[in-house]
Amino acid sequence: MVLEDYRDNMEICSKCSACKFIPLERVEGLQHVNICPSIARYNFHAYSGGGRLGTAIAMLDKRFDYSKKLVEVMYNCQTCGGCDVSCKYGMDMEVLEPIYEFRIKAVKEKHTHPALDKVINSLKKQGTMVPGSKANRGEWAKGLDVKDITKQKVKVLYHVGCLTSYDREMWKVAKATVNLLKKVGVDFGIAGENESCCGGRAYQMGYKEDFLNQARKNMEMIKISGVETLITTCADGYHAFQVLYDKFNLKGNLEVLHITEYLARLIKEGKLKPAKKININVTYHDPCHLGRLGETYIHWEGKRVPGHMYRFEPQKVYRRGTYGIYEPPRDVLRSIPGIKLVEMDRTKEYAWCCGAGGGVNDSNQEFSMWTAMERIKEAEDTGAEAIVTACPWCVRNFNDAIKKNGSKLKIYDVTELLAMAI
Amino acid sequence: MITKKDLEEIVGSENVCDDHQTLKAYAYDQSFVPQRMPEYIVKPNNGTEIQALVKWANETLTPLVPVSSGPPHFRGDTVPSTGGVVIVDLSSMKKIIRIDRPNRVVMCEPGVTFKELIPAIEKEGLRLNLPLLPREKKSVIGSLLEREPVIMPGYHWDIADPLDCVEIIFGTGDMFRTGGAAGPGTIEEQLAAGGAQDEPLGPGQADWYRAIQGAQGTLGITTWASMRCELLPKVEEPFMVGSMQLDKLLELVHWLIRLRLVNECFVLNNCNLSAILAKKWHDHYLNIKDTLPPWILFFNIVGYDYLPEERVKYQITDMLSTAQRVGLEPEKRVGSVSANEILQLVQRPSEEPYWKLRFKGACHDIFFLTIYDSLPELIGVMYDTADKAGYPASDIGIYLQPLVQGTNCHCEFNLYYDPKNLRESERVKDLSTSATKKLIAGGAFFSRPYGRNTSMIINRDAATASALHKIKMILDPKKIMNPGKLCF
Amino acid sequence: MDLDRSIYKALEDILGPENITEEPAILDSYAWRSGMMAGTTKFMPRFEIVTLPKDTEEVQAIVKLCNRFRIQFKPTSTLWGPGNFPGGPGVILIDLRRMNRILEINEKNMYAVLEPYVIGAQLQSELMKRGLTCNLNGAGSHVSAFHFAGSLGHGFTSQTHGYGPRNVLAVEWVTPEGEIVRLGSLGSSSEWFCGDGPGPSLRSLIRGSANSGGGIGVFTKAAQKVYHWPGPLKFPVEGISPNYAPAWLPENFFLRFISFPSTDKMIEATRKIGESEIALQCSHSISMLASSIATCNEEDLELLEKFRKSAQGPGIVVSITGNSRGEFEYKKKVFQQIIDETDGKSLELIEDPQVWGGILWRFIRMTTAIREAHRATGVWFGNMAGNNYAAIKAKYTQTAARLKDEMISKGLLFNGDKGLIDLMMWPQEHGHRGLAEIVFRYFPTPESTEGVQHLRNECLKVALIEHMGGPYGANRRELQDVVGPHYSNYHLWLRKIKKAFDPNGVAESTNYITAEE
Repeated sequence: MVLEDYRDNMEICSKCSACKFIPLERVEGLQHVNICPSIARYNFHAYSGGGRLGTAIAMLDKRFDYSKKLVEVMYNCQTCGGCDVSCKYGMDMEVLEPIYEFRIKAVKEKHTHPALDKVINSLKKQGTMVPGSKANRGEWAKGLDVKDITKQKVKVLYHVGCLTSYDREMWKVAKATVNLLKKVGVDFGIAGENESCCGGRAYQMGYKEDFLNQARKNMEMIKISGVETLITTCADGYHAFQVLYDKFNLKGNLEVLHITEYLARLIKEGKLKPAKKININVTYHDPCHLGRLGETYIHWEGKRVPGHMYRFEPQKVYRRGTYGIYEPPRDVLRSIPGIKLVEMDRTKEYAWCCGAGGGVNDSNQEFSMWTAMERIKEAEDTGAEAIVTACPWCVRNFNDAIKKNGSKLKIYDVTELLAMAI
Repeated sequence: MITKKDLEEIVGSENVCDDHQTLKAYAYDQSFVPQRMPEYIVKPNNGTEIQALVKWANETLTPLVPVSSGPPHFRGDTVPSTGGVVIVDLSSMKKIIRIDRPNRVVMCEPGVTFKELIPAIEKEGLRLNLPLLPREKKSVIGSLLEREPVIMPGYHWDIADPLDCVEIIFGTGDMFRTGGAAGPGTIEEQLAAGGAQDEPLGPGQADWYRAIQGAQGTLGITTWASMRCELLPKVEEPFMVGSMQLDKLLELVHWLIRLRLVNECFVLNNCNLSAILAKKWHDHYLNIKDTLPPWILFFNIVGYDYLPEERVKYQITDMLSTAQRVGLEPEKRVGSVSANEILQLVQRPSEEPYWKLRFKGACHDIFFLTIYDSLPELIGVMYDTADKAGYPASDIGIYLQPLVQGTNCHCEFNLYYDPKNLRESERVKDLSTSATKKLIAGGAFFSRPYGRNTSMIINRDAATASALHKIKMILDPKKIMNPGKLCF
Repeated sequence: MDLDRSIYKALEDILGPENITEEPAILDSYAWRSGMMAGTTKFMPRFEIVTLPKDTEEVQAIVKLCNRFRIQFKPTSTLWGPGNFPGGPGVILIDLRRMNRILEINEKNMYAVLEPYVIGAQLQSELMKRGLTCNLNGAGSHVSAFHFAGSLGHGFTSQTHGYGPRNVLAVEWVTPEGEIVRLGSLGSSSEWFCGDGPGPSLRSLIRGSANSGGGIGVFTKAAQKVYHWPGPLKFPVEGISPNYAPAWLPENFFLRFISFPSTDKMIEATRKIGESEIALQCSHSISMLASSIATCNEEDLELLEKFRKSAQGPGIVVSITGNSRGEFEYKKKVFQQIIDETDGKSLELIEDPQVWGGILWRFIRMTTAIREAHRATGVWFGNMAGNNYAAIKAKYTQTAARLKDEMISKGLLFNGDKGLIDLMMWPQEHGHRGLAEIVFRYFPTPESTEGVQHLRNECLKVALIEHMGGPYGANRRELQDVVGPHYSNYHLWLRKIKKAFDPNGVAESTNYITAEE
């Protein structure tokens, strides 16, 4: 579907502004009520989910031309899906999908952000969305003696992801993952320098063709390798493989798991036993692409039922963030002795974004950092000593924000903490 | 030049008076405003006559001062401030137009007094949210238009309550009906359709009745009003709490109103409670006062049509538990005074002589609005100021009335004095001004400014005064309505 | 319209470049139509410039600038509803989004002081922590908690928590001339407890039975009454959207949907419930209840069908609470007695605590307006009847219901609630007054839009000809001169107020009255 196909859907927007706030049943005070970083930061209605739909309809109606400001508004959005979840508490309509399509249209019509073009160039050339060369992608695994899926048959692929592969500070998560998987005797492999970006972030930015190229390339490699299960430590990667690839009928029968799902399963089966005490109060940050956006894709095709009510035949079942991956990371944390888990005000399907998504950390560092600091302040309010999360982009963004603005909070990945406890 | 004949042609010769004695009665009151004789007293019979009067007044630029209550008057608002005034005495307009039990509303003319209205509505099982012991000849509509405090704060949703709709002749001579009475159609047509003139808001995007309240007759003359009624209880259990600690009483007051446990609810100091109850002066007053603590809270718990005893039972249980938490003990009697005695009194107008006049023959009231936490300090200011003026603080009557469901509190100081004693009168007059000044500085809000202190109060809020002038120029551009009052 | 560049520059100097825009894409996001009473016009006239002031002083500066340059302004907060658009070009928007503080909560004297962009959910949550609560606007808790923002200002709990305009205390008002008038106690002190006086109350000017739609200036702060909350400091909600449910139910709450054999019986019951002062909340209709529970349109239709089969006629949702066990038991007992007397029947489907507990919280938190009004078709409106019960049971309701069914038969309205006397009751202040609303949901085609306009006109005609109260919904300038003569010619006086307080005509008046006829 393209943007024009969402016209009817967009026109259902009644401009209630619920998309700016967390689901109202969950509001517990004056603070921490916003769900949308974009409008929280920039305040004009166009920055909200509903505002973006109104702007998109206006664009389809050719009420204005592209402008620098329009592109700026469009890209100052982490595509975190918060607006989508809040809207769908009450409404049957899509919000995030048209937001994606708006970007896809803009990219197609060559209205892009130069910082994002640069990132996509890197993707095309080196298969990565972060600075780095293809050749060095597997460097983190040197000395770990991990199977290479392009050379050896394994059923399980550990997809590391761009950021973890190239960011030395994130290597510990990859290494911890390898150690944990080895410990339980999982027969797995990595793609090393043959691993290529999942393309998920490219899709978020509107570079649909580049995403599809990546997706096809990756699935081809997976098909050849005989891998049946893909595990990843990156929420973006999880979303890409689990949801986006499925959306475009590229996923096939591949089972996709986030590492926390896998680890929670292993802990439940008694195969992993966290025994070392880690005395720390933590709060868990739900990555958008694992949580509310991590819900399995629902394929649907149908027609609008004639009449006033907005419904379809067969019934369109909406993804409302209800079935995202919320509990497995928490189960892992709860299994670690000594850890005290406190929740922030905004959690699970209405968690505040870390700020990194949608290309924002490339196109607007200031906004990305602002968003991250809002979350850090929220975490500080819980009295926790650390934020734990399950996505390297979140970890990176929080750490960068703390470096810039200061905070006593530590940032951990779930896997990292579990590895410390084994 | 206006003539008596002009007026007689409007209201009939029997309703125009210019004899000196009668005029003199309207030339002054118990406030300290300067005396001024009116030219005529007219007593219209209906809204048509009133409208004709106002139109005539516009043509002749004759100032009109509406009066609805019988004497004595206390505020100065009905005393002419200029020469050439025609008093429009509405006290003959005594129709109780309709009593509507299902919609709990009553409509009456401005001459109807509390004494007349209360028994009439009681027959229908209704009651009004009353002010504290209004005087016998006090007009109900007069009281509502003055925004007088009422003794059942739980039923005081808005400061304008219990006023609903009014029909008014603006100073321009135009007739206007407010709220649900505005239309469509005549009142009779609305009633036939099932309307009840019980919606005060509007019509349109202004709440006209709020401008009319507090206007002291400077914007027009009301010809009738409807007002909200409550149900007559089937069971009543009054209580009292005596205490030296006003803050504790106020804490209890807050909870009783917040939890909707009480109907009548107010605080009096021992002076005022004694003054209300005393039958003989001066000894009986002193005897009662001697038995009382400085502060007395009175409240009443009631049951209505459905299981009234059960309602009262749980409310008493909850009330006692609340009082215990605060550290107070409600009782049926404090000193020589029983709660039932007070209840009997406060559900009726004051018996004659008016309770405020029994002590020394005259009384000057200083009243304002504030919040609970500010009360002790403001009472302290009053005591200090009285002390300096040589007025014994122990003689000051104090009445505290929570309003608008506990949102604010009416605080009233009653300064009793002998009107025949010139020195006492002067002392009270000066004290009124000095105390008002100090109380304003202490944060008291004089929402209903009267008499000599008016300009001191209104001048503090120049923006409001400016806005009021604009309203005045719309509703009474020729300034014929009660000139010299408020900021007009 | 090409505004003088110096105007933009002057506004930028006041606000900073980040807080002003004239970007067409952003302007169009504001111009996208509201779902309430929408027709086929998708975009309303654009604002020329959108401004985001942070405080009263900046608002004042904008208004004074508008006076200087003779351009119009319009304030808005949460943007819900058709009152947020200009009537034509040449209007500057004052978007009050940045003014979002709660300034004070006075627990002892039970009021809260807020700025315009505090939403109902925020205010209520902060109050609940202190054992207090407030009336929430019927539009939902995602809209401004300000009682000027709502057109009528009633909410589901108006039975016990009053309704909008009657809960207002002191106000800070920037007049169309750019003067700051502080109403009541605020004018002479820094206290917020009273909005009236000295003398006549200026609350008379700022709104009436409808809000002023920005036509009489900007309200930058206001105090409002708050009420006792007998529930937990935090309502125990669990689950993941949209499937929220209470984790446990407070012992002192209770809710039922009661259907009645006739509208007369329903009104009788509502009257008795009001007089006995037992209900926390008393409102709703069967179709709105189905919509509020359902998490999607299909489920809505299923539930409505089930309810329709189980209900004997029109009905109301009643919730009861008590500050003590004694109070709670008493109220339930009286409630049962009233239901027995009026032949009411409880809807069994609602009696499951998981179901009614969810409804209870959604009603207290006012989250259901979106599901009820918007979800089915995206577009809706509600026709208000009378301000007391007798009016609504008479010809007005019958006319509206008959017209609704006719329109449904012609395919001009959503057909889900055909044949139901689907009156939504809104009793206020223990039934002293109240409104009733019939909700119409439709997809805006030219035919349905025309039909809806016809329906509204017919309903207004009935109200005028049959003397049925109002004028509700007549707060658009083009209607004032039509409707005014039926209501004491209020429009003539309102016009004078407009002229007096807005001599330069800069407060945009699409939803108020113009200085000219």
